[in-house]
Amino acid sequence: MIDLDKAAHKVSGFLSERIPVEKLNFHSMVEKKEVPIHKMSWGYYTGGLTMFFFMIQVVTGLFLLFYYQPTVSDAHVSVEYISHHVAGGALIRNMHAWSSSCMIFCAMVHLLTAFAMKSFEKPREITWIAGVLLLFITFTFGFTGYLLPWNQIAVNATKVGLQSVEYVGQYLPGQLADVPRILRETFQGEASVGQSTLGRFYALHVVILPLLLASLLGLHLLMVQLHGMSQGVDKPAKKAEKFISIFVFKDLSLWATVFLALFVVALCIPFDSFLPFPLLAPFNALGSTPQGIKPEWYFFFVYYPLELLPFWVILLASMIAVTVMIFAPWIFKGTSRRTLGFITLSASVYLVVMTVFGEQIYEFFKH
Amino acid sequence: MIDTLLFVALPYLALFVGIFGSIYRIRTAPLTYSSLSSQFLENKGLMWGSLPWHIGITIILAAHIIAFLFPGLWQSIVSHQQVLHAIESIGLCLSILCLLGLIVLGLRRLTSPKLQAVTTTMDLVIIMLLLLQVGLGAAMAVHCKWGSAWCSGTTTPYVWSIITFQPDVSYINEMPLLVKAHIVGAWLFILAIPFSRLIHMFAVPVEYLFRPPQNVVWTNSRKLESQDQAFVKEEARRHFLWAFSGIALGGFLLSIGTFRNVFSFFFGPRLERKVETELMETRLSRLESTVGQRKLELERQASNYILVGKLTDLNESNGKYFIDFSMQPAIAFKGKDEMPLLISAKCTHLGCTVGNKVDDKGRILCPCHVSYFDIVSGEPNAEAPAKAPLPHLGWVIMDEKGSVLATRDSKGKSQGSVSAEQRESARVYIAKNQEETT
Repeated sequence: MIDLDKAAHKVSGFLSERIPVEKLNFHSMVEKKEVPIHKMSWGYYTGGLTMFFFMIQVVTGLFLLFYYQPTVSDAHVSVEYISHHVAGGALIRNMHAWSSSCMIFCAMVHLLTAFAMKSFEKPREITWIAGVLLLFITFTFGFTGYLLPWNQIAVNATKVGLQSVEYVGQYLPGQLADVPRILRETFQGEASVGQSTLGRFYALHVVILPLLLASLLGLHLLMVQLHGMSQGVDKPAKKAEKFISIFVFKDLSLWATVFLALFVVALCIPFDSFLPFPLLAPFNALGSTPQGIKPEWYFFFVYYPLELLPFWVILLASMIAVTVMIFAPWIFKGTSRRTLGFITLSASVYLVVMTVFGEQIYEFFKH
Repeated sequence: MIDTLLFVALPYLALFVGIFGSIYRIRTAPLTYSSLSSQFLENKGLMWGSLPWHIGITIILAAHIIAFLFPGLWQSIVSHQQVLHAIESIGLCLSILCLLGLIVLGLRRLTSPKLQAVTTTMDLVIIMLLLLQVGLGAAMAVHCKWGSAWCSGTTTPYVWSIITFQPDVSYINEMPLLVKAHIVGAWLFILAIPFSRLIHMFAVPVEYLFRPPQNVVWTNSRKLESQDQAFVKEEARRHFLWAFSGIALGGFLLSIGTFRNVFSFFFGPRLERKVETELMETRLSRLESTVGQRKLELERQASNYILVGKLTDLNESNGKYFIDFSMQPAIAFKGKDEMPLLISAKCTHLGCTVGNKVDDKGRILCPCHVSYFDIVSGEPNAEAPAKAPLPHLGWVIMDEKGSVLATRDSKGKSQGSVSAEQRESARVYIAKNQEETT
């Protein structure tokens, strides 16, 4: 017989440690908060930067909503209309595209540094898990947003992406084997990627994901403020700076600099300029798929291995990686920061190499 | 080329040097920021030179500035003939007054030994230039009459184009040489301001008119000290006010600029008729292709046969795309037996659409992950990521009247034949339920 009283006690103990309600006031969450100064201090800026890019995404996204039309016949024209005719439209669209990449990059760096600094340690498990989920949502934002311009690369890459989901089915036993197909059909909405898919992706990208992300971000930030900054290094830092106003001002000046850079880049370099025109032409349902279909750069680390290795290897590796990421606070409870740093470094090397040289590696092994 | 140099490059150079050079000189050498008056050295000639010159040039310049700043107002004033005549004649008289004054001033500089000592080359250059510029002005008043009226369609928009950073020389490049020279002269003067005594135009002693009749200065130490403190306090306050108003003005301009741009984004473009028409055509054609797609879907729902094409249209190396009953792409070739060969174009790997060009080994390529499929067997090549073969589709051949000539099901079982004379009119279809039709 389970001792209910004991179990309840355990749960309440767990929660009260993670959510210290006595600290739930302005004084201890904001006024008293301090940020340690040590050689890894830069890691404390990555999260804020990610949020800043999200804010840019929200604002520029609202701008784009004014003109974008989510139908297969009008989507591509409306995007071209924004780029060529609306005053400042090209800038806004470029900023949205560049900033999306920046947001994903910062989110990844934030996760890696937080991991290396062992910021997931008790009592910050909830912060960590919320963060991992936020990263997944951010990737989903990228995937759903990619389809919206309805050009060749967008639709075909989405087809491949959705088909990969169905591929998982063959490794599942019995009735479960059907689940990925049902899942794909739910998101696809019809026999092929078409109007229903566009409508669903639009709804996800514009309403559902932002709401999800905002609420999780709220939880994440609340937890960060409740627990304060994690120590980050083995030896407690001797110096610290006040969150209000020194750190906040440093954060704001970083945001301002980054905004200026983003603005200039968005003004000068169209995000599309890295793709050849045939891929940017409106999607043609009756033609063959053009060459060079690939996802955005931030999916390269899983895309190129997927091209080279059997599907089940990637599936297994991703499942292990996701599980390890989510349960990191418990798996790496006793691991030293040195070891964590080493793991982070290896992961970063893998990510950078696959993203930058993925295509060459693929060519090397295939030919 | 020369026009661009004189009427675009020179103005910006002049404005830049004139504004920033003057600010620099006023800040770094405040004692030279005056007219360096020579009244102490020579008084009589100065009165006959300086007074007519300054009276004339002040009024003329004021008229120039009003005409440039308020073109609408100016236009409405000079549109009355009498007023125009009055303005033109007053202008001509004033320019003659200026010229006389300048001649006196120049002679005075050249003849008075006392003045020779304080006269720099720049002073002489400036007097020369002024003579030239005013002379050109007077000549314009005679030879290119009614300048105060025609300026509003020519020089005024030109100056505005310079100020608004959209330089447009076309307003003035057809002008007579006289006018062009006058314009170049004007820019040269702005350029010369920081390097000459012309800078005194910023040092007009207006406060002279309002200063108190007497100033009491205390000399005892306590008063002096409190005065110093008051001065320091005053200075600090002055700096603060300057900085604050600078930031406020900057912020104001920034917010106006931002607002203007944000607003014009939401306001949307007002396109030219031609562009708008093209856009509408594109929209319509996209809408039509969507309609086509929908019709295909409906057709596949409702009918039992779908036309692929005429038998004679099919080709061995270049396939014809069509959409099958499940709305997936497929390709029709002509097989070795002169009969249709229909194969699915949906790659069995990840669902890309396979290409329709047959290579020399009889294969078609899926470009996404490089799988080659043999069109006869449907099998992918050994290294391909796709493992399953592309399935073949059954077909039905009918003549013009709709009677079935030959069929083949998806497994390759054929019935019937097409004779040589029937080939011309034969049409290839896919059938919803192949088994029922055979």
